[in-house]
Amino acid sequence: MMMAATAFDLVLVLALLASAGLALFLPRRSTAAVMFCVFGVLLATLWARMAAPDVALAEAILGAGVTGALLIDAVTAHPKAPDGSPAVRRRTHWLAIATLAAVIAVGIAAATLALPDSAPGLAEAVEERLGSSGVDHPVTAVLLNFRGYDTLLEVALLAIAALAVLSLAPGGEMPVAAEALDVPAPLDALTRLIVPVVVLFAGWLLVAGSTRPGGAFQSGVLLAGAMILLALTGRPALPPGSWLRLALVAGVGSYLALSGLTASGGRGLLVLDEEWAGFAILALETVLTASIAVALAGVFVASSRSSRLTAREAPR
Amino acid sequence: MTRLDVVLACGAVLAVLATARLLTERDLVRAVIALNIASGGVMMVLIAIASRAELADPVPQAMVLTGIVITAAVTGLALALIRRIEAEPHDEAGPGRQDDEP
Repeated sequence: MMMAATAFDLVLVLALLASAGLALFLPRRSTAAVMFCVFGVLLATLWARMAAPDVALAEAILGAGVTGALLIDAVTAHPKAPDGSPAVRRRTHWLAIATLAAVIAVGIAAATLALPDSAPGLAEAVEERLGSSGVDHPVTAVLLNFRGYDTLLEVALLAIAALAVLSLAPGGEMPVAAEALDVPAPLDALTRLIVPVVVLFAGWLLVAGSTRPGGAFQSGVLLAGAMILLALTGRPALPPGSWLRLALVAGVGSYLALSGLTASGGRGLLVLDEEWAGFAILALETVLTASIAVALAGVFVASSRSSRLTAREAPR
Repeated sequence: MTRLDVVLACGAVLAVLATARLLTERDLVRAVIALNIASGGVMMVLIAIASRAELADPVPQAMVLTGIVITAAVTGLALALIRRIEAEPHDEAGPGRQDDEP
């Protein structure tokens, strides 16, 4: 879309570059983590500006929320980087790297700027087939119907990452909240207020994804944020023991089941017939929401070294 | 200068800058941050290309959405690995300490 760059756009882009530069080049870890959270929020604003509301929702929750929580937890545990001299010592090396980077950046910018300013892409093709996809929102239709195979692999990757982090938990045990926890009162009050509202909103997002920006991923990561908040205030956040593992693999498991059913009994791998596509997508999204939420919250809790959580025998 | 141009140029610069930083950074946590920023730059280019259509092209947006979620999960795994790498030997119960268990 040939819209002139308004002052808002310019300021936003400059702020993005500034926060990224500060995150990359200031020496302290904590500065980098906080500037990255700022970068995440600004990036979400940019996505909203560029007509990508689904992406903006996900980035807002993940960039400053889940990833931000993971990073700040990591820098709190280890505020100082292990001693080491800079990887690149000599001035000539810096110059060579800077020149190479500049050349590549200019090349990429020139190549992308040479693209035509307005091109339909696949939007029209998606619009044509939207009626038979089972949902009314193009991005949801692409994610869960037309490119369902990509989403299957993504969910599998989430499950693998979560299981890998669980196996790395200190002592091999999942930290669970200690009984008496010294949680600041404002945080406690905030959690009590926010978590029920967030759960309600996540449920709405899940169903809204059929007709407007929303869907399983936004809903799942929002729930993960609520679960992280619960974990930080000493409340049980994750299902215990084997339920946790079940929740982790339920997403990819049900997706594989759907693939098997459509490949053997249906018209082809992940080909959703128009009659039951809407129902299948909503059912799948529900399982995916739970699975994604448990995976991301599990990643946080398992690797959290916060003094609020202590290692204890996880209930089997 | 259109909004598209500005965002494309910014995305290209961020992606390359952060990747260069990723390759030269010694501190692992800051390398993970550089990786996230680099993926942010690449996503800017993708979304900018997607926004050229009258109705925004949903396929690159879906790809970026997938990428965001994957990056978050992989960041979590990377930070857990970094925690083990940087742990003092007496801090964590590593595999060597469980030799009295079956």
